[in-house]
Amino acid sequence: MLDTADARTGGRRQFRLRRPGPGTLVRAAVVTGLLLILLFAAPALLSAYYVDSMTQVAVYAMLAIGLGLLVGRVGLVSLGQIAVFAIGAWVTARLLFATSQPYPLVLLEAGASTMAVGTLVGLPALRLRGLYLALITLMLAGAFSIVLATTNFPNGGHGFLGYNGSSVHIPPIRRPSIATTDPAYFRYAVVVAALMFALVYAHIRTRPGRAWIAIRQSEPAAIAAGINTTLYKLWAFALASFITGVAGGIYAGAVHFLYSIDFPAQDSIILLAVVLMGGVYSMWGAIVAAFLLQLLPALLNDWGVSADWLTILFGVGVLQVLTTAPAGLVDQVPKDLARLGRLILRSTGPRHRQGVSEHDRG
Amino acid sequence: MPSWQDFQPFIVTGLALGGVYALSGVGLVVLYRATGVVYLAFGAVGAMGALIAWSVTNAHVQAWVGWLACLLFSGVVTLGYGMLFGPALSKRDPLVKATATLGLLLVLFGLMDLLWTTSGGQSRAITLPTDNSGFIIGQIQVTWTQVIGLAAGFAITAVTGAFLRYTKLGTAMRAMANDREITATLGVPVRRVEAAAWLGCGLLAGLAGLLLADMVALDATTLTFLVISSLAAALIGRLRSITLTLAAAIVIGLVQNLLVPIPSLSNYNDMTPFVLAATALLVLSRRRVIARSREET
Repeated sequence: MLDTADARTGGRRQFRLRRPGPGTLVRAAVVTGLLLILLFAAPALLSAYYVDSMTQVAVYAMLAIGLGLLVGRVGLVSLGQIAVFAIGAWVTARLLFATSQPYPLVLLEAGASTMAVGTLVGLPALRLRGLYLALITLMLAGAFSIVLATTNFPNGGHGFLGYNGSSVHIPPIRRPSIATTDPAYFRYAVVVAALMFALVYAHIRTRPGRAWIAIRQSEPAAIAAGINTTLYKLWAFALASFITGVAGGIYAGAVHFLYSIDFPAQDSIILLAVVLMGGVYSMWGAIVAAFLLQLLPALLNDWGVSADWLTILFGVGVLQVLTTAPAGLVDQVPKDLARLGRLILRSTGPRHRQGVSEHDRG
Repeated sequence: MPSWQDFQPFIVTGLALGGVYALSGVGLVVLYRATGVVYLAFGAVGAMGALIAWSVTNAHVQAWVGWLACLLFSGVVTLGYGMLFGPALSKRDPLVKATATLGLLLVLFGLMDLLWTTSGGQSRAITLPTDNSGFIIGQIQVTWTQVIGLAAGFAITAVTGAFLRYTKLGTAMRAMANDREITATLGVPVRRVEAAAWLGCGLLAGLAGLLLADMVALDATTLTFLVISSLAAALIGRLRSITLTLAAAIVIGLVQNLLVPIPSLSNYNDMTPFVLAATALLVLSRRRVIARSREET
């Protein structure tokens, strides 16, 4: 199990079950407001370049919430999420070229296919624990990336693989008829991502979520409490894979053309690092991670800074998270800001010395 | 089906590659036994070492200075990481320790891309003087570099085995593999023993990086992720036995190369380590050999 929070700080306080109160209402209002801004204001305010990268943010938010669910809620680490993502994109592309099914149906089918694959990979997870599970997902993803490099993505050809070679005219992957333009497709992606977040929320607030917390804290205790750990672990894998597969489907429509080189195995490592940096104990962490992964590179590119600095930053970030800030940026930044605020207040206030000595004693 | 003739040269390259996988695998096993860390940045450290060696050699300095710089860099970076993050993470789960080395991997990976850019389509290569001379067995051309690769694998395994068995430091490392706390109670300077393991592993990373850069390619991504092949060997050795690691590494190297002449499989030959390691993990977990590491109990 990945205890990014070590035993003392535990994730327990993060998951305290609350009755819906005014806090929940405020939170719901904030989420709705942000969604409305994203849906209606953002496409109008942003340039085409940033609309594109915001679509990618929506895609990666889904990837991040899928992995965050596994790592943060259940304590399973997968180093092969990009492979699952690629499978989702592959199935979507194949179905879109082969059939004239509506896009949402194709997304569901892509999600269902990756769910099947994810459950298959999840089966060994029942025996393998912690490190060994992470390593076997790394191995499987490595093997898959080699298969993908040989089979390639469907590009309108015939047969099961649907690959036409690269010399002929390649038709673009179609988008849903209601969202053919970039801003419309961005809205479409945001709606799908919001639905996926709602799906995760529904899970973690109900029985499966409580079962996952129990498994994360202590598997023997969970068994003793009568929780079917096998079922709930597989369930987590299936759900995470479903979401990742749907993300792959949205990605396929967003970029129109898929190449195996766009799904390198090392991206799974970067994804894990950034998801840990964002924070795995909160759903906001997934959104932070998506912005770090997709918007930050776009900004740096705009400013002419090499994206390699980001890779370095992510490396330092994951080390920092694992050693000192287990709950990631979403937890640490507000805390640090509050501390900074207190410090400023103290240094300007009259009871400066007393404040400092109290802090030292604490 | 290709004839025996077609396979012959690939036996040599396979054995040489297997030797290098073996020496990396042994480095990984020793470090895991002593510190509980699966060092996923092994390949990245070696890759950066090799790139430094390339830069030094290109600056018209004696080639051996470059090799020394490579070893020195790998050793110092690994030791530094171990000293900085080893104690902080020593009481955590093996998974956390392994994930933290991914942080180092990303830092080095970013640095390599930044400093040795590949955007201009530049290709780099390291050539060792032993590449151009060699001998012929049967009809197969064998270079001294390939001999060094295989011999280094065997030699490192033998030396490490003897070191762990007969020296005081080696005994301390074995003791720490069993129980870190009790070993510390017995008066073994735990930190110093760990430092020795980190340094040794780093030097091996440099050596592996140099040899692989010559045999495979001097490319950051390729070399960084070649560690997975050595890790596969180490996993087959249950992260425990260095003899088994050596055998597994040789088999992986051989199978990977012998698939090349078979047309229907040659595209998939690089899957060998992944498939073998995944199978080994599944088989071992069925027998519950690795079901729980000592830290998890």
